[in-house]
Amino acid sequence: MMAAAIEIRSATKTYATGAEAIHAFGPSSLKVEPGEFISLVGPSGCGKSTLMLMIAGLLDCTSGEIDVGGHVVKAPETSIGIMFQDNTLVPWRTVRGNIELQIELRGLPVADYRSTVDRLINSVKLGDFAERYPYELSGGMQQRAAFCQTLVHRPGVLLLDEPLGKLDAMTREAIRRDLQTLWLADRPTVIFVTHSIEEAIQLSTRVCVISPRPGKIEKVIDIDLPWPRDLSIKRGEKFSAYASEIEEIFHGYGVL
Amino acid sequence: MAMASSEKSASMGASWASAFLRGLARSWAFLLFFAGFFLFWEYAIDLFGIPAYILPRPSEIITRGWADIDRLLYYTYVTAVESLLGYLVAIIIAVPLGLAIAFSSFLRRTIYPFFVSLEMTPKIAFAPLFISWLGFGLLPKVIIVFLVCFFPVVLNAILAFGSLSEELVRFIRATGASPWRAFFKVRLPAALPQCFVGFKYAAINATVGATIAEFIGSDQGLGFYIQIVTGNMRPDLAFAGIFLLTLLGLALFGAVTLVERWVIPWHISQRRSH
Repeated sequence: MMAAAIEIRSATKTYATGAEAIHAFGPSSLKVEPGEFISLVGPSGCGKSTLMLMIAGLLDCTSGEIDVGGHVVKAPETSIGIMFQDNTLVPWRTVRGNIELQIELRGLPVADYRSTVDRLINSVKLGDFAERYPYELSGGMQQRAAFCQTLVHRPGVLLLDEPLGKLDAMTREAIRRDLQTLWLADRPTVIFVTHSIEEAIQLSTRVCVISPRPGKIEKVIDIDLPWPRDLSIKRGEKFSAYASEIEEIFHGYGVL
Repeated sequence: MAMASSEKSASMGASWASAFLRGLARSWAFLLFFAGFFLFWEYAIDLFGIPAYILPRPSEIITRGWADIDRLLYYTYVTAVESLLGYLVAIIIAVPLGLAIAFSSFLRRTIYPFFVSLEMTPKIAFAPLFISWLGFGLLPKVIIVFLVCFFPVVLNAILAFGSLSEELVRFIRATGASPWRAFFKVRLPAALPQCFVGFKYAAINATVGATIAEFIGSDQGLGFYIQIVTGNMRPDLAFAGIFLLTLLGLALFGAVTLVERWVIPWHISQRRSH
């Protein structure tokens, strides 16, 4: 049997100590198999991003532990790809330069990744914008470029922290589709944070419903829908049933 | 959006001459106001019967100044050297120090509050002391210019190196980049725009510092010249000196702006687009 891609074991996070302590997350456990697409859905401030940072090794667990790729995360996990809500494009580099920044910071030879960079840029339809600077791009194009930056070192595990959070509905839908296509092609393990129930159902193999603070994985729902999940699937009864099931849970918390 | 940016890159590629003409076309209102101001000054003197020993005409300032141009140019050179030396030494010391303070919590708890309180002290108040300690030469002027330039540069450098976005800090950590690589590829370029805010502010201070230092104790330079000719009831020559000081300040500020445009073109164009 293959090892889990990610295993969360009773992980918790408490910020500060004593009277000012804020219990932000957990304890929660979750086992993610390789190639799964897991969405974390929950209200603002429920600790979704905290969990993300703990998986990435950018934040220590207060208790419990997390495995990535079969070992316990103790330091920043450099083998994975992580994308934040505010993109990490730097204004002094072009789209191509920003993607290559990921390679350069890792001390890898940029020349070896030329074809990967080109392929990625074309796959997100930024071919004509490779030599443009971020400020010359729309918000959606910037997120596409940032997505390439996250993927260029070919990580097997992707952590996407509300990458579509600041985009308009139409751009969101378009990028969602691209994201699904890319995932179906390469089948990386993905943890995807979102506010959108619909987005979570459309993209995921499983949806984790997170309770309000302190965030806990309250329910894990298997999404049994065929791929690719296009508009016809989204209009289907089964899709709506999943959506109502999740909405019902949030209604119970009083957040919906 | 794409259209606006292609227009912009086309204009960047245009020749200097047409850029100059376009600049002229854009600033005609300013030039008109400028000319109007001096014309008004020229004729208001007669209109209100102001004697030349109180306020000379612009035309007199030019002709009398021209008669004394050798001395004026030499003194401009003296003041320029004082300003430039103090300015450059301030940058060379303040930027690394600002960097150190931004990255050391110990320095942030010790030197930083000290600098912030010194920032409230009018540095120019030290000028008489330096003159009395070090005499009339170049050194006390350079030190005074250094003092008035140092604080804006160091405080902006601390801000610059200390304010990298949390996302970029996490990005750097997630790549496992060495501190050096992270510094040269991300931290330094990200800090440059804020550093230049300090450099420009200091450039304005530099000639002010040099002039006041010369007022207090000097035997050459434009500050010295203005004080002497004013004492001799020659406001025309004083204005000629003030005019050259203005040019000197403009030249220094303009030079820093050019360097900024060359070092961080991405920042300038980003600013233009907003």
